[in-house]
Amino acid sequence: MAPDASPPEIVCRGLSKCFGATEVVAPCELTFAAGQTTALVGPSGCGKSTLLRLVAGLEAPSAGSVTIGGAPPGDTLRRGQLSMAFQDPSLLPWRTVRGNVTLALKLARQRKDEARIARLIDLVGLDGFAGTRPGALSGGMRQRAAIARAMVTEPAVLLLDEPFGAVDELTRQQLAEDLPPLWEARETTTLLVTHSVSEAVMLSDRVLVFSPRPAAVVADIPVALERPRRASLSSSKPFLDLTGEVSEALARGMAAAAPRLAAQ
Amino acid sequence: MIVAAAMRRSDPVLRAALGLLLIVALWELSARALSGAYILAGPVEVARYLAQNSGLMVRALRETLWSAAQGFFWGNLAAVTLAVTAIVMPRSERVVSALALLVFCLPLVATGPILRVLYGPGDGPQITLAALAVYYTTYVPLLVGLRAAPATWFELVQSYGRGRAAELWHVRAMTALPYLFAGLQIAAPAAFLGAMVGEFTGAERGMGVLTIRAMRALDVPGAWALASLAAAISVAAYAAIGALARAVSVAPPPVILSPPGAPVGRRLGALAPLGLTILALVLWWGLLEGFGLNAFFAKRPGDVFEALMLAPDAAQTRATLLAALRETAIAVVPGYLAGLALGAALATLIVLVPVASTVAMPLAVALRSVPIVTSAPLGVLLLGRGEAGTITLVALMVFFPTFVACLHGLRQAPGQILDVFDSYAAGPVARLVHVRLPAMLPAFFAAARMAVPASVLAVTVVEWLATGQGIGSLMALSASLSDYDMLWASVAVVALLSAAGYGLVSRAEALVLSRYAAEQVRR
Ligand SMILES: Nc1ncnc2c1ncn2[C@@H]1O[C@H](COP(=O)(O)OP(=O)(O)OP(=O)(O)O)[C@@H](O)[C@H]1O
Ligand SMILES: [Mg+2]
Repeated sequence: MAPDASPPEIVCRGLSKCFGATEVVAPCELTFAAGQTTALVGPSGCGKSTLLRLVAGLEAPSAGSVTIGGAPPGDTLRRGQLSMAFQDPSLLPWRTVRGNVTLALKLARQRKDEARIARLIDLVGLDGFAGTRPGALSGGMRQRAAIARAMVTEPAVLLLDEPFGAVDELTRQQLAEDLPPLWEARETTTLLVTHSVSEAVMLSDRVLVFSPRPAAVVADIPVALERPRRASLSSSKPFLDLTGEVSEALARGMAAAAPRLAAQ
Repeated sequence: MIVAAAMRRSDPVLRAALGLLLIVALWELSARALSGAYILAGPVEVARYLAQNSGLMVRALRETLWSAAQGFFWGNLAAVTLAVTAIVMPRSERVVSALALLVFCLPLVATGPILRVLYGPGDGPQITLAALAVYYTTYVPLLVGLRAAPATWFELVQSYGRGRAAELWHVRAMTALPYLFAGLQIAAPAAFLGAMVGEFTGAERGMGVLTIRAMRALDVPGAWALASLAAAISVAAYAAIGALARAVSVAPPPVILSPPGAPVGRRLGALAPLGLTILALVLWWGLLEGFGLNAFFAKRPGDVFEALMLAPDAAQTRATLLAALRETAIAVVPGYLAGLALGAALATLIVLVPVASTVAMPLAVALRSVPIVTSAPLGVLLLGRGEAGTITLVALMVFFPTFVACLHGLRQAPGQILDVFDSYAAGPVARLVHVRLPAMLPAFFAAARMAVPASVLAVTVVEWLATGQGIGSLMALSASLSDYDMLWASVAVVALLSAAGYGLVSRAEALVLSRYAAEQVRR
């Protein structure tokens, strides 16, 4: 663990992205507070993955800038302090689950810590599959392996792109309980893209709701629920109020965009 | 019926063996029928010859194998180096690929004698020709394999702040492995072929030397025995590398070859060929100067230009060259087209008869690895010295790779789409037209591209060894008369024309694929 790994603040200034003539991310000013978890929700194809890739420096902005802890993303990347779990798990098929998790440590130039590797594989419920290749895993199991890979380097910035998309409801709830303590303990700045409104509220300190493409923020909803959060929380009044607010904001964004989309 | 059912179930090796047995039986029967004509020796006679001359054969084989092995090593090393260079420095790819192609298009028939002068006696030319015969067929699939990974695998590496070296090591090396083995598999027989052609140019020992001798002496059993031995070795080498790939559990690559040509939509325009030609000329000049080669036989671009344009007998030289090229074109163009058409047509027909395809596939894979060129003398024995013989040999040289590639392509038709057709109870013809043929196109064009230099090789070797016509013969004649101006001029013209033909096929490929198989065109 590098000593300078206190979680950084992520700041987007006038950030926008176009692919050719298509604007995918509308110019935006965003600040993600150090150590906070922010959930990004929005309709499919609105530009959430693109925003995450911009933050990771994998995509160059068309305008504006991204800084992580005051410096360009590349600095954080090169220190191995950023991890991204891609929307498609992107496990290397010739490596086992353990091999894929180990690869992240190698790429981040960190010491190979067998205990930590085993603990994370356990945590995502893949104990017993550590020696299995991705080809023999289900879609949900692959996603969990990808989560373990993203977290094993104990990054200061964690970018999760629909990490639970193909995971069943029960396992999802389990992961939603088990994972946050890890990044809370480490105070990681986390961005989480998800299509599940309740997951967004359950996992985050703040929910950003985006409009259809080009992505623009429709609502910025703080989530002041106490931690640790248990599954039982999901039937409480404050939780339901928050999910209602997020759903409404999503609907509002869609409705506002409808005439524009119809015109296209 | 029972045999058919058994074949469907049995493994490909058994099926190939069955097919080979069939061929050997046919071969023996035709030999008996033609006995007295002194053109065809049957398997029994061949076996007898091999047994009687086993000492000589083993010595010759060892010689050729050793040259081929060294050429195989150096050629593939060059291929790997070139491919890695093109990947690590993407800007260099166009130039690397174009020069690699141009060098591959140098006619072995002429480079052989030139190398012989350079090296003197010994096995230098054989090794070099073997290396020249293999590097391009490894380079092309390797380049595809090094790229055969989804973008996110590279982004994973990038997201940890790592660069091209880490990508190469952690991702590309592994994705390229199946493609590398596919390339090596084709390279093994090609190296043997290259070594034999090298021996044709005046070695002291080896299979090539014996082949030439047998042909000059009209030693029919000897010629057939040597050709059979070369074929058997080639098939064995091909199979051995396939087995090695399976042993290290490398699956065959999913797509044989996707177009490595110009990345579509990123062409440099009409100036690119000109720039590359200039670069090639500069390299040609620089290499000869750099090695300080004697200007008597190592002609520079300027010498060739002078011989073709300025010298008093330039018109005569040009006329001779053009006449030879015309003779060659008459043989190579129909042969090339016939080989392509037959390969594609037969593959298409055969998928309609699944049982036939289960036999034909492994057999064709085995026969593809036979170095047809080295048996050119036999072709001439069988078919005479006329155009028909040359055209047939060129067609055969093109036919087998095309047939195998097309069969692979036809079988690659995506399962889900075929399921959709099944759900409408579409007949085999509808499936063929709408699903299988489009799936075949990329493989067909990959084969058509590679067949251009292959058919030029075939035609020049046949002309050189047997028919005494065309550019192949002209090159051989110039070499023996020490007319190095004519020799170098022929080499340059043939290489340029081959490369241009290859480029033409690539263009056609890009046009057709962007229409019918857009996903195959590299972005
Ligand atoms: N490399 C690219 N070139 C062109 N267009 C792109 C590219 N990447 C994304 N897009 C376009 O940008 C838009 C947003 O894509 P993005 O992947 O960011 O959406 P998303 O919000 O993550 O959607 P989903 O929820 O379905 O994953 C889409 O319309 C997509 O077509
Ligand atoms: Mg996405």
